Amino acid sequence: MSSSLELSELVEEATETADGRRLGVLFWVCVGWLALNLLAAILANVLPLENPLTQNYNAINAGPSLHHLFGTDDLGRDIFSRVVFGSRVSIEAGLGSMVIGFGVGAPLGMLAAYRRGRFDQVLTVLMYVVLAFPAIIATIAILSFWTPRTLLKIIVVIGVAAIPLVYRVIRTATLAVATQDFVVAAKVQGASDTRILVRELLPNVAPIAVSFLLIGVATVVTLEGSLAFLGLSVAPPTPSWGNMINESRTILQLNPWLALFPSAAMCLFLLSLNFIGDRLRTHFDVSEGKL
Amino acid sequence: MSDETLLRVREVTTTFDTPQGRLTAVDAVSFDLGAHESLGVVGESGSGKTVLSRTIMGLQPRRGVSVTGSVLLNGIEVVGATEEAKRELWGRQVAMVFQDPMTSLNPVVKVGKQIDEVLRVRLGMDRAAARARAIELLEMVGIPAAATRYDAYPHSLSGGMRQRVVIAIALAGSPQLLLADEPTTGLDVTIQAQILNLLDEVQGRLGMSMILVTHDLGVVATRTSRLVVMYAGRVVETGTTRDVFARHRMPYTRALLESSPKVSNPSHTRLAAIPGRPPNLLDLPAGCAFAPRCAYATDRCRNERPVLEPAGEPGHLFACFNPLSEPVGSPT
Repeated sequence: MSSSLELSELVEEATETADGRRLGVLFWVCVGWLALNLLAAILANVLPLENPLTQNYNAINAGPSLHHLFGTDDLGRDIFSRVVFGSRVSIEAGLGSMVIGFGVGAPLGMLAAYRRGRFDQVLTVLMYVVLAFPAIIATIAILSFWTPRTLLKIIVVIGVAAIPLVYRVIRTATLAVATQDFVVAAKVQGASDTRILVRELLPNVAPIAVSFLLIGVATVVTLEGSLAFLGLSVAPPTPSWGNMINESRTILQLNPWLALFPSAAMCLFLLSLNFIGDRLRTHFDVSEGKL
Repeated sequence: MSDETLLRVREVTTTFDTPQGRLTAVDAVSFDLGAHESLGVVGESGSGKTVLSRTIMGLQPRRGVSVTGSVLLNGIEVVGATEEAKRELWGRQVAMVFQDPMTSLNPVVKVGKQIDEVLRVRLGMDRAAARARAIELLEMVGIPAAATRYDAYPHSLSGGMRQRVVIAIALAGSPQLLLADEPTTGLDVTIQAQILNLLDEVQGRLGMSMILVTHDLGVVATRTSRLVVMYAGRVVETGTTRDVFARHRMPYTRALLESSPKVSNPSHTRLAAIPGRPPNLLDLPAGCAFAPRCAYATDRCRNERPVLEPAGEPGHLFACFNPLSEPVGSPT
């Protein structure tokens, strides 16, 4: 009996060692938090939330209560509802601009690394020229003049600014695999260039792309927050996390809740994204030595 | 030599433009390869074997390389052919087994899928047929539990298994010519023999022609019918394997033979090494490239480049002013 018990213990131990490649509880907590955020943002209209624009003059700068979970702002608007609706701006900006950045940057980066030669040289120099502009200053300058400001314009400006960054990361990642024998091997089996790019290179680059995408979304959310804080994001009264923090600036002593909740929401959102991205990167980093 | 010629290589010269100048990696190499015949290409590192095999495949880096001469595969010219034209040859007429099975398989694609590639794209099989054929190929190259291995990733296979998979991939398109470029360099000695025997076996069974590129004369001794000995990008001796082993005339060939260990040697025999180093291809001597390392070299060797001349036996050629008198040494 005892020996069989020992054996089962051993097996358990062995499984645990194998679990070294598991993602961990914290990872799933982060995924859960992001999923919750996304769901709330998508379903904000159907959820039993107060209208984020409705002003309640009986409760101005009220603290958290059962009626207003996060309290109200200086115009009597419900902060909880504004945080939820505000997440839409951040998430749309983050995902939208990354769709542009990856949609253009990733294929170009892969193609440049695979084809090399003149195509690669010209494109890389071009990207580095764009990269040499300080992105945030360029974004602020463009958004200051391109009025009226809409979320779409913000997404386009940030998305275009992200193209060279994505290009550089994907190009480097592709270069590392494009020179390996299996690419030549696929070629001499008669595989077309498209097939090599999609079947041979893409699966190797995808893990890096996914983690960079997540961290990219996080960066854009921060950037949108900064723009909003400078009054360069979506116009009030539309709520966004950055807008709300900006509004709280003058009444910080009077109503700290208005600064706290959107900041906390943004902070946890970014933390989750960064943690997931980082965890995935180490998870996919399968080198011979670790097996 | 076989009456039916599959591959005709004529005066093939491959040069690289490097920052230090023009480098001739393969210099006016000519040979024929008959159908069902196997040819060994031997030489030290840097003698141009790998560049030669890539040139025959029509594989060149895109810049700074120029190839002259002619490589006729089944009557189709490879030198200067477009990528599309070469893609028609690759896989079905000619296939290649690479040096290092660690890098010649895609680490994130199941091995079966990597065999499917040729079957589905080039031969137009449907998914089920391709899978069945891939498993058949895995069985043919001696992989146990082939149906399970189909879904395995390369990292879960040993080096020898991986090289078997690489061979299965090469065989998938039923090529007429198989080019094996040092197929056993990355493997254990015991596995080396298995892989070479496997190549030998499938070559005979499928009636392919094979070019076996190696630095190890022991590898080609029993597995090829003819040999090409290369030095500094040039062919220095060629003939049937038997003739080259028993009646070699070129001192370099002898030096190569003497530098492989023999079981018949008494124990603690020092292994003969070839003195000096292979020449710098950017700065070749005016005469015979081997002269600086050759015990028989004369002033003529240092100033004049020897050309290939017949040695007596049919098909046996050598390039040397001071050939070894025959018979020398004993076949390994």
